[in-house]
Amino acid sequence: MSRPTTRPAWIVALALAVGGTLRAQGVMIAPHAVFMSHGTRSGAVTLLNPGTEPVEVSVAVFYGYTATDSTGQLTLVTVDHPDSTQPSAAGWLQAFPRRLTVGPQEQQVVRLLATPPANLPDGEYWARLAFTAKAGQLPVAGVRDTANIKVGLTLQVRTVIGLHYRKGIVRTGIALSGLQAVRQGDSVVVHARIERQGNAAYLGTVHGTVVAPNGRVVGAFHVPVTVFYANEPRWAVSIGAVPADSYRLRLEITTEREDLQPEVLLQSPLVRDSVPVTP
Amino acid sequence: MGSRTGSALAGVNTDLCRRVRSGSRVPVLGGLALLAALAAPLSAQRAIQVTSIRSLVFGTVFPGVRRTVLRTDPLNSGQLDIRATRNAQVQLVFTLPAVLNGPAGATMPVSFGGNDGGYSATRSVASQVGFDPRVPYVARLNNNSARASVFLGGSANPIASQRAGSYTGTVTLTVVYFP
Repeated sequence: MSRPTTRPAWIVALALAVGGTLRAQGVMIAPHAVFMSHGTRSGAVTLLNPGTEPVEVSVAVFYGYTATDSTGQLTLVTVDHPDSTQPSAAGWLQAFPRRLTVGPQEQQVVRLLATPPANLPDGEYWARLAFTAKAGQLPVAGVRDTANIKVGLTLQVRTVIGLHYRKGIVRTGIALSGLQAVRQGDSVVVHARIERQGNAAYLGTVHGTVVAPNGRVVGAFHVPVTVFYANEPRWAVSIGAVPADSYRLRLEITTEREDLQPEVLLQSPLVRDSVPVTP
Repeated sequence: MGSRTGSALAGVNTDLCRRVRSGSRVPVLGGLALLAALAAPLSAQRAIQVTSIRSLVFGTVFPGVRRTVLRTDPLNSGQLDIRATRNAQVQLVFTLPAVLNGPAGATMPVSFGGNDGGYSATRSVASQVGFDPRVPYVARLNNNSARASVFLGGSANPIASQRAGSYTGTVTLTVVYFP
């Protein structure tokens, strides 16, 4: 398969314009999240090397999704051999090429091709794409006939992005429960359970505000949220040194995202709740 | 529903790009406009970039003498820069070697402590939040610049009879973007 390769001069200018360090090594990967449809069954990811040395890149496809751990932190859950109950697209998704070298100031396109089973039910299927970029080796060689011992470590980068494959009617939503807000010093720590509804991952944004009895907002946050099954996140909201009072946490979760195009967002009703902040 | 991957560099005028690729001449003003469009923040282009800025360098070590590089060392600590979208959450997972490989099959132990990882939302080596590079770490990118730096320190532990020569290894940083 041919690999589209370009070396336009504007890439050098782009690298300079966006502040990239030309001596540094790495590739720019776009988009940062891939959405494919059953209609086209294809997609593409562009790799751009703004550096001055070639970068070897390998591409891997695997099944994974995000969840929260016992501390409420996001984590990537991977399953090496997902069974038929898991909505994995990894088994029938291929990337071409799987290994490539992106020259200095060049860009190349990795094509994605889906060959799902014929009886694939409607719904959303997930995979992860991993791009491992290997740049030049650390220049510690050259010690031949001395008693010197030289030591260095090369840094290699592996970037993992998500892929959503949608077939037929897909819908999403969330159920919010267990909302708690506890004051801890100059912060309010928020716990909640967010369970996904429907047959597609929920992509949205959480907006939280801590409000004083007089209506004044003393703290606020907004974070992107993606719910594949169920998340039990923990957020900390800074409220500063406000005096003890009867504060209230208000939470809204909407299917809006700053980092994704509106066309890829599945809409669902706004979810809202509020609880008193426990001193 | 259409595929969202046809134009990977979202926000870039793909027609213009095709013209550039095909070798046709772009007028100077058009080229400047293209550059201006391309120079837009990456957040607008929906891209992620992780760049290895500086390798972790222990330099010359002596047999039997442990050499430690702090993550705050501006010359020798490892540094990687991340650029994605504003307020984005990423998971950082280091794959760290236990030994480095040297001449004629010789190896040298290397170790990493619970405070050898550093995260800076301002990309300053002087302003880091320490973390344990041996376990996953979740960070949020700067809400204004959408950029951050990750630093790494560690220790090389040459034995008393360590063979002379160059010892190298590879540290892999996996950056998981949480869309």
